[in-house]
Amino acid sequence: MFETLQHWLSTWMWDWLAVLITILIQAVVIILPLMLVVAYLTYAERKVIAYMQVRMGPNRVGPYGLLQPIADAVKLLFKEVVLPSQSNIYLFLIAPVLAIAPAIAVWAAIPFAEGWVVADIDAGVLYVLAISSITVYGVVVSGWASNSKYAFLGALRSSAQKISYEIAMGFALVTVLMVADTMNLTQIVEGQKGGIWHWYLIPLLPMFVVYFISGVAETNRAPFDIAEGESEIVAGFHVEYSGMAFAVFFLAEYAMMILISYMTAIMFLGGWWSPFEGIPVLETLFAWVPGFWWLALKVAFLLFTFLWFRATFPRYRYDQLMRLGWKVFIPLTIVWVFVVMLLHYYKVGPWFN
Amino acid sequence: MLENYLPILVFVVLGILFGVGPIVVGYLLGPQKPDDEKLSPYECGFEAFEDARMKFDVRFYLVAILFIIFDLEIAFLFPWAVVLDEIGTFGLVSMAVFLALLVVGFIYEWRKGALEWE
Amino acid sequence: MSFEQLVFYAFAGISSLAALMMITVRNPVKAALWLVLTFISAAGVWLLAESEFLGLVLILVYVGAVMVLFLFVVMMLDINLAEMKEGFAQYAPVGALVALVVFGLIYLVVGPEHFGLDKTGLPVTHGPDYSNTKEIAVPLYTQHAYAFVLAAVLLLVGIVAAIALTLRRRGPRDALYQDIDAQVRVRAEDRLTMVKMAPEVEPDVSSKNEEEEGAK
Repeated sequence: MFETLQHWLSTWMWDWLAVLITILIQAVVIILPLMLVVAYLTYAERKVIAYMQVRMGPNRVGPYGLLQPIADAVKLLFKEVVLPSQSNIYLFLIAPVLAIAPAIAVWAAIPFAEGWVVADIDAGVLYVLAISSITVYGVVVSGWASNSKYAFLGALRSSAQKISYEIAMGFALVTVLMVADTMNLTQIVEGQKGGIWHWYLIPLLPMFVVYFISGVAETNRAPFDIAEGESEIVAGFHVEYSGMAFAVFFLAEYAMMILISYMTAIMFLGGWWSPFEGIPVLETLFAWVPGFWWLALKVAFLLFTFLWFRATFPRYRYDQLMRLGWKVFIPLTIVWVFVVMLLHYYKVGPWFN
Repeated sequence: MLENYLPILVFVVLGILFGVGPIVVGYLLGPQKPDDEKLSPYECGFEAFEDARMKFDVRFYLVAILFIIFDLEIAFLFPWAVVLDEIGTFGLVSMAVFLALLVVGFIYEWRKGALEWE
Repeated sequence: MSFEQLVFYAFAGISSLAALMMITVRNPVKAALWLVLTFISAAGVWLLAESEFLGLVLILVYVGAVMVLFLFVVMMLDINLAEMKEGFAQYAPVGALVALVVFGLIYLVVGPEHFGLDKTGLPVTHGPDYSNTKEIAVPLYTQHAYAFVLAAVLLLVGIVAAIALTLRRRGPRDALYQDIDAQVRVRAEDRLTMVKMAPEVEPDVSSKNEEEEGAK
């Protein structure tokens, strides 16, 4: 689709401009829906948690409160951006940019269906891991630049937590690569073709759990949200931010949540392959569903579990959180690297060709 | 290979614009009525009585240092995981030795109590 | 000038400028952030040279890990700037000497004698399916396995040194440690003893009263 557009554009303008315009359109096609999903994820979060707690949730703005996120955005837009007098103004303003720029840049390498990827790079997994490791700067810099004790403590806790869980995530990714034999995200999904028993979920079940839970910790979501811990340190690293500066942090956090869900779906849940592949009747019955919607469904379910966790579990204490990361997840992932190594050596299972 | 990275460059630039844009718009649209109380650091209504930048537990540095070491280890594992078929048993064994050495380090760390938090 | 060259000069310019800012800026936190920018644009230059893996690992390891530690140290140590500058004039000659020596070494290694298109050859451009990672990986784990294992030894020394330098375990009075394994292993019998007791029968007063009240 985009190739024909590019061809058509290049017939009447410079080639480089045609390429640039095509990429810009692709970017808009990805980023705008992403922002919309973020907006309605906040709505879904409030609604889901409300129903889990037998409340109504937002129901005033628009039918069933559906316009609530729009109203919130407009309200934040007209709020004052407070610049605290004791802060380092430049760093204070750069911090939200440091949080959101990587959260958006990652999406360039994410495939949405067969062939639907903007930048089909060979080292896709490495790219995602490298770019999302930059988001920690948003937290550290905002916490320091604010010059406020709550922000400082929040940044400290949050950054130590993020880096601890990044190790577990990295090791979990390594096991996926060992099974898939490639770092290209599209090829990783291709490798899971042929029915639900070919999904990497099965040989790597513990890694799936580790990756997803580490993802919850990486994004500072409940039950690992000690960085915010509103009953202890008010709102953590972004106490001093208001109006749109706060909204940017918020966008970044939710965009990362969606990213974690996408990565989990792509690497463990068979990406855009239908779960009914290879099952006689069901396969033909659901053959009309395009791959993109299967992926979207899997992502939606994972996002729902994010909200479910928040409604169910009490917050972890910091020492317990660090224990879970360092003493449970990291040993488990290292052991599993050895296990997959042996599985690979003895060619066990249908996952190794 | 480079043509694959062009969109990434565009996305990085767009990401930065996405951070700068809303803040500028919010700054232009929102009111600007600063006063001393509003601009002081938030401390639940108390006056801030000292500078917020303080020394903190050395344990956080230790976490950061250990993180660097494990991150490097992951950087070594990534390319290895991709070429398992090409490097044969020798490659497997060399990585097993590499990992075994780091497991020794990890056990040392554990026994020394570097992973304990109070 | 082709687009690639334009991007190269942009990245090269940013990284040189950021490096310059990093050594001239006064605030150490800002200096660290300028260094981050230097690394990111250097990664861009590496990507342009088609070394995809190294470029991304530069971001992953240096930007994502090493600089976070630097920021931690620089931010949270609250360094007194005036004190740091005290010995500047005294140490300036030594510093200049060291800088000269390092510059000389760099010149010897990558000076015009060993550098340039006639020495290294024109970099080959690869198609979209080229895997830079695999190209690095195969010799790394076979031909250079010895160096690779030595890297593990270095990392091990790093772990030991980091722990030896920073770890001080506080006494049981200063801090409370929790042994979660012990807590999980606890069984009801350890904590709770069931004592058989003969039931003590109190003379039933209240019910009698109630009955009497009910009768009234």
